[in-house]
Amino acid sequence: MTTVKRAIPYLLAVVASFVAAGIFIALMGFNVVKAFETILFTSFRTPNGFIQTLLKFIPLLLLALAFTIPLTAGKFNIGGEGQMIAGGIGAAFVGIMFGNLPAILLVPLVILGGIVGGALWGLIPALLLYKFNINEILTTVLFNFLSLFLIDYFCTGPWRDPAAGHPTTIAISKAGWLPTLVKNPPLHIGIIIAILVAIGIYIFTAKTTSGYEMIATGANPRASRVFGIKVKNMFVLSLVLGGAVAGLAGAFEVAGNQHRLIEGMQSNFLVLGLIIGLISKGNNAAVPFVAFMISVLEVGASAMQRTMMIPVEMVFIVEALILLFVLLSDVVRRK
Amino acid sequence: MEDQIILELKNVRKVFDQTIALDNVSFTLKRGEIHGLLGGNGAGKTTLMNILYGLYKKDEGEIILRGQPINIQGPRDAIHQGIGMVHQHFLQISNFSVLENIVLGTEIKNKFTMKMDEEAQKVENLCERFGLDVNVTDVISSLTVGARQKVEILKALYRGVDILILDEPTTNLTPQEVDALFESLRVMVNEGLSIVFITHKLREVLSVCDRITVLREGKNITTLERKDASEEVFVRAMVGEKMDIEHSIYFATEDRKAFDRSKAGTPKFTLENVSYISSDGISKLKDISLDIYGGEIVGIAGVAGNGQRELAEVVAGVIPVSSGRKVFLDKDITHKTNEELLHTGFSYVPEDRLTDGFLVKATVAQNLILGHHRGKPYSDGKFIDWKKVHSECTEHIKEYNIKTSGPAEIGGNLSGGNIQRVMIARAFCLASEVMLAHNPTRGLDIPSMDFVYQKLLARRAANYATLLISEDLDELMRICDRIAVIYRGQILGILAREEFDKYAIGRLMSGITSENQPVAEGTIS
Repeated sequence: MTTVKRAIPYLLAVVASFVAAGIFIALMGFNVVKAFETILFTSFRTPNGFIQTLLKFIPLLLLALAFTIPLTAGKFNIGGEGQMIAGGIGAAFVGIMFGNLPAILLVPLVILGGIVGGALWGLIPALLLYKFNINEILTTVLFNFLSLFLIDYFCTGPWRDPAAGHPTTIAISKAGWLPTLVKNPPLHIGIIIAILVAIGIYIFTAKTTSGYEMIATGANPRASRVFGIKVKNMFVLSLVLGGAVAGLAGAFEVAGNQHRLIEGMQSNFLVLGLIIGLISKGNNAAVPFVAFMISVLEVGASAMQRTMMIPVEMVFIVEALILLFVLLSDVVRRK
Repeated sequence: MEDQIILELKNVRKVFDQTIALDNVSFTLKRGEIHGLLGGNGAGKTTLMNILYGLYKKDEGEIILRGQPINIQGPRDAIHQGIGMVHQHFLQISNFSVLENIVLGTEIKNKFTMKMDEEAQKVENLCERFGLDVNVTDVISSLTVGARQKVEILKALYRGVDILILDEPTTNLTPQEVDALFESLRVMVNEGLSIVFITHKLREVLSVCDRITVLREGKNITTLERKDASEEVFVRAMVGEKMDIEHSIYFATEDRKAFDRSKAGTPKFTLENVSYISSDGISKLKDISLDIYGGEIVGIAGVAGNGQRELAEVVAGVIPVSSGRKVFLDKDITHKTNEELLHTGFSYVPEDRLTDGFLVKATVAQNLILGHHRGKPYSDGKFIDWKKVHSECTEHIKEYNIKTSGPAEIGGNLSGGNIQRVMIARAFCLASEVMLAHNPTRGLDIPSMDFVYQKLLARRAANYATLLISEDLDELMRICDRIAVIYRGQILGILAREEFDKYAIGRLMSGITSENQPVAEGTIS
């Protein structure tokens, strides 16, 4: 009963945002029913569509978790993009420099490279917060910009692929490519790892003592400190964990999809991750479901643009509206 | 003239979400009377007066002022109608002078020059008329709580009100200040004002009020002339039929025997010359020495803001001592963290429940294990046994009478009194050698307060040590074996139970050690 009750505002928010978007689409002179059909069912009509959705799902899930894990401790990590790029660089570094290792060693090392890269990128803002009390929102955002310069350096510098027209590194060793579950279109094992990470995060926060301390810290850092929780350590841990998860997304992008480091690989995952995290209201357990829903919308949106010439931005509007309506429903309920 | 009814509230009803705060409450105020509005916490006293003052909107009912039904839009409107209110927490600007605070928000003649001679004259006249001795040029931050309250009363009088509502005016006053306040109130009613005196302290209404209305759980139980009723009638009206007054501690009259130190061994907990200097260099605690034996309840009395909070945090290990030693069972624990202390047998009820003690965004269960979450029975150190937690929590909810839908409810949904019960349950549910309770009964109704007292005395009987810091002197005198009085971070005196005397403690609370001799001349401004 209570779960149903709690779900109602969400359903209403989704319906309301679709209605609003429907009005826009109709005003632009397109067929609303067909547009919605495309948005909602592209992911499920063909195996290709479904795999495309899963491939979108992986980075979205991880970037959303990179936001919600620190949020559990009450910290805002807006640096998922930078951490993802740092993770990509870490993975590419391992994949290129240790290229002659066998796959059985190189694949885990490449993934580890991504995790370490992302974690480091989360650690620096965390330490600045720990030592000097510098607001993490500021530093994580600024570190996004730093990472853009860094990836530019690698893609145009030492590992540059001279044959490519776009700033890109040379491919990482084939032994470092992620194994695939499905050959054509390729679906790499990142999907399994990402889901395991989501489950792991859930178990960590819901069952372990440290997870409890992190939740308590997020709920009231002052009271947590009074009752013996080292909240500053929790801040650092949460930001590093978030960075590591974002870094993992970067590693998957490099080792699973592109097989090289490419400028622009971070796409708009950061913003979508934030939207997913906010729609989930920071609930780590809800993130995978919301992330999947958004992936469906994203894949549907590109299909809609291809087949109906409706601008893909329409779906951004829908996503933003869902978030707005979810937040609004909160305010309304409180009144 | 004498019995003229100036204000009448008829069948007022107010509902917050699902709780009925006021149910069909009626109240009349006569010209020239002090009308006590008596009831425990959560009885609806303040809600009723906030409706009158325009802070809340009533759902049903009528307000009739001087024979005219009125609808009060907000405080400004209320003042315009001649109704003033002095809140429990003063709304003053601490770096402004008394005069500036009083005239703030009113029309000032010389708006551009801020020459306020006329206004000052008016305020001084008021001071003289009502026996409120305040120097209008003093800056608020230099005043004592008692003086700041006078400023708040002057604020209302300056605006020309003839009905004055005082919400728990004696909180934080020394007994001497209380007496002075009562004298001023008497002068005011003699001059034709009408006063509503909100309190939960029975003795005070009995000593100052002409008529008394008792509220309980949002209903008005009775209105009686002071001279027509005995104390027992009011006690029964306040607490209802269910409470066992005979065995209560709140209303206990016979004297309990104090803890006998001569037969005791070594203290459970000792502070040796503890000082604390805050990070901005202000000395908050000066050379405090205090020991607590097992089976003893030691109280700290003092006007709020004299270092109680720092003392509590030093004892609980939240902040480090600047110098001195803390000893627990002959072991030096000066440098132990609060986490270690919680595990070696300390428990803590912090004063400020919403910031220091409660996780508003977490569940009741998560709140109940805070601080105990690393150890048995809730956790093996790595994983939390939520099944065990929930079953234990369900029991605590029952035992401590916490009104909630269950352990999984979000803490923020609970009322203030229930949040306090959660904090009490958390501190009392596991045995602890030393308990530090700071205003543990704040926001609780009388039966719940009594429950806390029973629990404290049970600790005493079980030979545990308790340090009770409280703003409520009656509470301290009711259950402590010794009371130490803190003033500006110093312990000015420690009295054993046989020596308890309201006025002696009151003198120490205002910094006077021997008869009328202020300590450290010049520090009191």
